[in-house]
Amino acid sequence: MLLRARGLTKRYGKIVALDRVDFEIEEAVTGLLGPNGAGKSTAIKLFLGLIEPTEGTAEVLGETAASTVAVRSRLGYMPEHDCLPQNLSAAEFLTHMAEVSGLPPAHARSRAAETLRHVGLFEERYRPIGGYSTGMRQRVKLAQALVHDPVLVFLDEPAAGLDPGGREEMLALIRKTNREFGINLLFSSHIMGDVERICDRILVLDAGRVVHEGEVATLTRETETVYVEVTARQDELVAALRERRVEARVEGRMVVVPDVVDERYDRIRDALVASGAPLRRLAPQRGTLTELFRQRGGP
Amino acid sequence: MSAAAGRVYDLGFRRYEGPREGRRCAVLAVYKNGLRTALGLGRGGRAKVVPWLFISASLIPAVVMALIAGAVDRAAPGFDASKSLPSHAHYYAIAAIVMVVFVAVIGAELYCPDRRNGTISLYLVRPLRPADYAAARWAALVTVVVAAAWLPQVVLLGGLVLGAADPIGYLGAHWADIPRFLLAGAALAVYYASLASVVSAYATRRAYAAAFVVGAFIVSGAVVAGVVDVLSRETGRWLALLSLPDVPLYVNDLIFGASTAGTTAAEHLPAAVQVGWFLLVSAVATLATLDRYRRLAR
Repeated sequence: MLLRARGLTKRYGKIVALDRVDFEIEEAVTGLLGPNGAGKSTAIKLFLGLIEPTEGTAEVLGETAASTVAVRSRLGYMPEHDCLPQNLSAAEFLTHMAEVSGLPPAHARSRAAETLRHVGLFEERYRPIGGYSTGMRQRVKLAQALVHDPVLVFLDEPAAGLDPGGREEMLALIRKTNREFGINLLFSSHIMGDVERICDRILVLDAGRVVHEGEVATLTRETETVYVEVTARQDELVAALRERRVEARVEGRMVVVPDVVDERYDRIRDALVASGAPLRRLAPQRGTLTELFRQRGGP
Repeated sequence: MSAAAGRVYDLGFRRYEGPREGRRCAVLAVYKNGLRTALGLGRGGRAKVVPWLFISASLIPAVVMALIAGAVDRAAPGFDASKSLPSHAHYYAIAAIVMVVFVAVIGAELYCPDRRNGTISLYLVRPLRPADYAAARWAALVTVVVAAAWLPQVVLLGGLVLGAADPIGYLGAHWADIPRFLLAGAALAVYYASLASVVSAYATRRAYAAAFVVGAFIVSGAVVAGVVDVLSRETGRWLALLSLPDVPLYVNDLIFGASTAGTTAAEHLPAAVQVGWFLLVSAVATLATLDRYRRLAR
């Protein structure tokens, strides 16, 4: 068990940031989702031991987070905001951060080099960080969270501010960090697509309460709705389907066919042939986190 | 090419299975980083200019004082220059303004950028308490200022010994100055570093922090000196305690049995009051710095 919240409550005066929250986070990549003010940052601060709960307990790696700082040597944190010194080289900064995490100086130096190689900055490691691009700075932020080989890393919007190419590379790097090195991640993000791609599980907070938790694979499994994309003759296709007692509707270039089970695929095939509609793609719809939150009125 | 000439292995990123030394190592790392930051070590040339310029500037009075004492000793053999010319007891008063500017600049460099860049958030999630971070920075500042205070005194001592007609005899007669200037220098460093730390702990910009510290020392010294002159002796000697640059010099004067402070009225107060006030100001400033960082984590 990586994290455990039991009746976890945090109040700031009259404002309730977290309200008697109970959840457990196992070894995996877990997405922490929720709108602004949902309690995500408060939860992360509680688990990092930076603040104390008003009520309940926050356990991290089996220890009460607020009572010890020792456990933090096994935790990593990549904040969303800027957090890097301008005048230090990445190598010196990472070596220092490894030492502050408890590694002896000689080990810290070699870990810094290895970690910079992992994030693709080995060749640039002696340049001052102030001269790095946004993508390189995000990589340094990730590297400082990994340099001391934590068991669990808290990632707060790790792809924020990156162009599409940089975002792809960062997400691939994060996934690789978990898959190849077994480092567990708590991934806080507003971008549903990123969470779908990266996370095994999600935990959704809203107004200080847990509103959903579960496996991402379960949420994004195939549905019984089939999308039939044809480049022309959509109306003829819908008519042919109805002749075969299959309900369908047109959405742009798509013909959407709900409740498709086994033999209905044969009827769709027959209707396509009968209508002469040129088929481009036929695929079952997959659930998305965006759809889930749209149904729930979530973030 | 021989195949056995050598091979390069890319072992890549691996899990770490070495020792983890915890909080003590973390605090020591922040302290060492503070020393390197203060002296510009491992940084570019520009980062080295300011600290080493001030350290060099603080040496100038010591060198001049040693040269004058040596010249007088040769011009008038038998004349005890240490009793008539400025010596170890006077050095800290003479170099006070240089040291105040030095500690103000270095203190700002140690505390402000980590908060301005957001790097402090990375320290606060590592195995050390917020107060550990502040204490390690404070200790680094004290160390650098102590070194900057002692170095000219050592140079001065060397100059006076070598310039004396009888170096061994001079050292035998004045050996007690060594523990005195070490103790006075340490007191001065603790006081200056504590005040510079508390200002820098609240300021975001280095320039504002440094300017505030220097301004507070100059203005308080000038205002108190002016006001004390027009007050009664009883009121004036208590008010003299508010002269920031003079507080550590009162301690210096007690250690050396000299009179070097700019506002001398407080010298009429009991020694316990002068030392107690020095300790109180230093302690309150240090505790306020630690408290600032405790609150910062929330």
